[in-house]
Amino acid sequence: MFLEKGKISNFQLGLLIIGFVFGSSVIISPGQGAGHDAWISVALGLMESLLIVWIFTTLAKQFKGMTIVEINSLVYGKILGTCISLLFIWYLFHLGAMVLDNYASFFKLEIYANTPRIIIILALVLVCISTVGRGIEVLARCSAILVPITILIAIADSALIIPQIDLKNLLPVLDVPISQILWAGHAAASFPFAESVAFLMVLAFVDITENVSANFLKSLLIVGIILIIVVARNFAVMGPMAAITNYPSYLLAQAIDIGEVLTRLEVLIAVNLITMGFIKVSVLLYGTVLGLAQVLNLHSYRPIILPIGILMAILALTTFGNSVNMLNFAQKGYPVYAAFFQIGIPLITLVVAKLRKLNPTGGSKA
Amino acid sequence: MIFLLLVGFGIMALIQVPALVRKRWWKELICYSLLWLTGLALSVIISMGIIIPPISAVLNKYITSALGL
Repeated sequence: MFLEKGKISNFQLGLLIIGFVFGSSVIISPGQGAGHDAWISVALGLMESLLIVWIFTTLAKQFKGMTIVEINSLVYGKILGTCISLLFIWYLFHLGAMVLDNYASFFKLEIYANTPRIIIILALVLVCISTVGRGIEVLARCSAILVPITILIAIADSALIIPQIDLKNLLPVLDVPISQILWAGHAAASFPFAESVAFLMVLAFVDITENVSANFLKSLLIVGIILIIVVARNFAVMGPMAAITNYPSYLLAQAIDIGEVLTRLEVLIAVNLITMGFIKVSVLLYGTVLGLAQVLNLHSYRPIILPIGILMAILALTTFGNSVNMLNFAQKGYPVYAAFFQIGIPLITLVVAKLRKLNPTGGSKA
Repeated sequence: MIFLLLVGFGIMALIQVPALVRKRWWKELICYSLLWLTGLALSVIISMGIIIPPISAVLNKYITSALGL
């Protein structure tokens, strides 16, 4: 069942992954729970996520040209497969709402204090709805323009702050209890790296599938290394304050002052959040509507984009209630909640597929 | 506020329903209508100031109490 006729190249997929993983991590630093050892946690999280990515790209390679919804139907049968697919679709939908909430909270707190949250959310969601309606190819082309700009801004920001870096802020290394570092590492894997499990809805549309695994891992390594540098930079400049600030990268960009000429560069961080947030929400909305259309056996996913997008915006308005709930969920509940979707579903599906000896074309050998 | 919501959701319906009826995509029309009605109902509830339980916070409460985090 091909509801999507578009195809994207391996290069476009790579950029889409980088943009997706950057997403809200442009402003929210992963691994903050480990204090000044956060960069170690992010490195550990990256390693854990490489393993997770290997699991789900192996699954995608075994079932070429199929989304996770189609794979579930084949591996578990119609009824159980549909139930598992609906759970996975819920995760994509919920994650999209959480990204929208992060986006709105940042703009409400730092830039548009008097603008209602719903206006900030709708402004982004409507653009995402329009893009998803034009298919995966258009979204991939958008990422080819936006992602290199974001990487350049991240590098420029880091270069301009070099005079204020004090490496003593990163010492002593491994001062934080190892259990805390490991938990923060797992939290860093679940947000943002392993969230790329959403690409199980996209990998089916890559034109050449031979190098997908290597390409996926390469993209994740690139974004992972950039994030490690960004997190280490934040702590090296801000010290312990980086652990208690909601948006350390934004605060740090405010401190850039080159000869009183290059100042107020924090707006570039906000621009990065708009562009990368757009890519992340679009991929999640795309996965949600495509998955639902496949589960319900619809002719096209396009008729349900608008209502699903609006429902995502409504969920974003109500998902946390306040920022204390958001922080609590991010640090405690989310790494456990997300593990089921990021590790549980792909791993169990892969094991069941191997046990049932299902071949790549979809038939059973037995 | 509720009037604005009705106008917004009315425009949403005007954009897509005629095309779905013309193509005779009844299953898509049913899905669209259900999602549209859910969105409208939730929007009206929120605009009336009725508090909807925050889903992520509820999930967090269950997960942390179950695992003793």
